[in-house]
Amino acid sequence: MFLLDNAVVREDWKKAKAVIHDAVAKHGGTVKTSRRWDERRLAYPIRGKNRATYVLCYVDIPGANLPVLRRELELSERVLRYLILAADEIPAAEHELSAAENADGFVVPAPPPDDVIEPEPAPAPIDPVEEILAEGELPDDRPRGRRPERANVEVAP
Amino acid sequence: MSRDRRAPLPPISGRNCDDAWPDYKDVENLKRFLNGSAQIYSRKRTGYCTQCQKALKQAVKRARHIGLLPFVG
Repeated sequence: MFLLDNAVVREDWKKAKAVIHDAVAKHGGTVKTSRRWDERRLAYPIRGKNRATYVLCYVDIPGANLPVLRRELELSERVLRYLILAADEIPAAEHELSAAENADGFVVPAPPPDDVIEPEPAPAPIDPVEEILAEGELPDDRPRGRRPERANVEVAP
Repeated sequence: MSRDRRAPLPPISGRNCDDAWPDYKDVENLKRFLNGSAQIYSRKRTGYCTQCQKALKQAVKRARHIGLLPFVG
């Protein structure tokens, strides 16, 4: 999985993907499938960016070439971050999704500006039956630790 | 003299090792196993066996690296 700078994606999606494809091909690898996974707000800023586009690729590359590829990706300003993992097989859905993206007429939505904050989804309505049942149970997130000491209460004889 | 102790927190409901293998891309599922500070719950709380808890740990760490989950919430 690769994390691409949105500025590159805004220019041209195919050029943005070519950044990854060229890097893989340069080091003797072949790209099996490649698709835009998502565009979302990052959990923490990476290189000063709050949003980025995720690209999920399945590639076939000799293991000996991986250190050189990693080095190139780290030096690249367009790839914010990457995660290379070993995969036993390519999921069947990946072929379909990758083919759908490469088909004519597929338009990648333009990423929003970096400072756009998504509205929080409305909370799901609580089922009254579940609410009644939950009242009888102990809450999961109750504070742990010792209870405060009870005040000494004198009992009248 | 015995101290006043509370019962341990119950495992997260509906979670066991028969569920899907933890995947770093399944962020919404992984968030269920993190507390408010984005720390991973213990095996006692998640209800996972050793292997599944290790897979959960690995998935959360991968998601943190790629920017899907925070290191500190």
